[in-house]
Amino acid sequence: MWAMTKRNLKVFFRDRSAVFFSLLAVFIIIALYAVFLGDTITGGMEGVKGIDFLMNSWIIAGILAVISMTSTLGAFGIMVEDRAKKIMKDFTVSPIGRGSLAGGYIFCAFVVGVIMSLLALVAGEIFIVASGGEVLSMENMLKVIGGIFLSVLSSSSIVLFIVSFFKSQNAFGTASTVIGTLIGFLTGVYIPIGSLPEAVQGIIRAFPVSYSASFFRTVMTEQPASVSFAGAPESALREFDTALGVKFEFGGEMTTLAACIAVMAITAAIFYALSIWNLSRKKK
Amino acid sequence: MTKIITVEGLKKSYGKVQAVNGIDFYVEKGTLFAFLGPNGAGKSTTVDMISTQIKPDAGRVLVDGYELGREDGAIRAEIGIVFQDSVLDALLTVRENLLLRGSLYGMEKDALRDAVASAAFAADVTGFWNRPYGKLSGGQRRRADIARALVNTPQILFLDEPTTGLDPQTRRKIWNTVHMLQKERGMTIFLTTHYMEEAAQADYITIMDHGSILAKGTPAELKENYTRDMLRITPKKDEKLSALLGKEEIAFQKSGGDFIIQLRHTADAIGIIDKCREEIAGLEVRRGTMDDVFLNITGAKVRN
Repeated sequence: MWAMTKRNLKVFFRDRSAVFFSLLAVFIIIALYAVFLGDTITGGMEGVKGIDFLMNSWIIAGILAVISMTSTLGAFGIMVEDRAKKIMKDFTVSPIGRGSLAGGYIFCAFVVGVIMSLLALVAGEIFIVASGGEVLSMENMLKVIGGIFLSVLSSSSIVLFIVSFFKSQNAFGTASTVIGTLIGFLTGVYIPIGSLPEAVQGIIRAFPVSYSASFFRTVMTEQPASVSFAGAPESALREFDTALGVKFEFGGEMTTLAACIAVMAITAAIFYALSIWNLSRKKK
Repeated sequence: MTKIITVEGLKKSYGKVQAVNGIDFYVEKGTLFAFLGPNGAGKSTTVDMISTQIKPDAGRVLVDGYELGREDGAIRAEIGIVFQDSVLDALLTVRENLLLRGSLYGMEKDALRDAVASAAFAADVTGFWNRPYGKLSGGQRRRADIARALVNTPQILFLDEPTTGLDPQTRRKIWNTVHMLQKERGMTIFLTTHYMEEAAQADYITIMDHGSILAKGTPAELKENYTRDMLRITPKKDEKLSALLGKEEIAFQKSGGDFIIQLRHTADAIGIIDKCREEIAGLEVRRGTMDDVFLNITGAKVRN
């Protein structure tokens, strides 16, 4: 399995364009945010103390959620390509087991997801500090890093399930474009959940990756929010959290970090099980 | 002679199409075995089954004493395959490719490095092994493919249409490598091809079409059994030669002004030529070729 993982990682990182396209959604978010989204969201709140720190942290949290999906999607592209180009044959004639073969792809995607997320986190922190914010506290930093592992695990399981249906590179290419575009909406990064109609809010709430975003937002906005909302009534913070998808409201109750962790873990379990079922079903 | 591959009653069908129709054959250790047939004859399906790629519907296959279906892992360790299509990673160098593929065989680091060096040397790829596979010429790629197949020092090397699309010079080079592997390393070579000239270089040929085996034998045996030698005479005067042959009761056909006489033995030509000496403007004695063998066996030219 390590041998396959190593090979897949080498193939992925050697292909510069694959790496670039797996980050495309992130570049789009950054560009949109820099051009107008940032102003739209903070419009009317210019006077609030530390609003830039708060919003920058919010957007970086969203990027972390998005990247866990798009980067693993790029990494699983190797599997589709190997199948389409019949390179897979060369692995199935070697004594490596079928399980290790699949494991090699999954583990590679996981490693790619974690590496890309960590890079995004480092770049994001530099950006936040450079524009006048503070670096994450040690405790929150560890929480975010732990969250990255969990979020990559959960997102890669969804991606694997989708990819397990594709045999041609064309289908995969189309799917990754669609996913790369939709993911920003589905996690409420392009447009905050509060600005969307009720039905769309429901979709966002039902999308598992939104809970990765919620996890990162909760942890990363904690420090800036305590500055911005110092002295403000509790309801103002609550309103902010619901409007920007930091937390989701269900029947008057707000989701917690524990709920996000549970959703991510359950998603990973369900989708890995489904993927294994789908992949083994096809072999016969 | 020991049999390194034995195949009995091997069958495979896809839906209603019988790809392989219950075939039996064996391959002797250390020989160059050719599997000859047109595209779609069932050659690749057979090789895919022997090499543990697809599951046969019925039949028993032994590869170097290991039974297919029960000891697939052991079989995989014993074989190397050069596929029709490129299967190496285009963005990685030949050396990286060899090291990564070699590591799938569970070798220790030093053993792996030695195996890669030895495979690269045998296939003669050391001159360009630090270049990305995708940037190589067709011939270099093929040699890299062979090096890949040798990386686990296999007992049996499968070559699936190895020289398709290569120029004659490169083709000869590939063949030199194959012969060298057979002679110097004692490797068994299992070749599938639809090129007659290539099959003619084998020690043993099995001809297949429509999922069944039509003939087996050494190239010489096949030619002996399935072709006739032929004498072709260009006459000085058509009628005179015709009359002469008629008198001697020698059967002939005419083709483009020439007289064509089927011979039972090549030496029979001498007597005929002697008798017609005066009427011969030109002549040719042609031995049967693998093309004739194929033509006579399948009743058709090789489909391409």
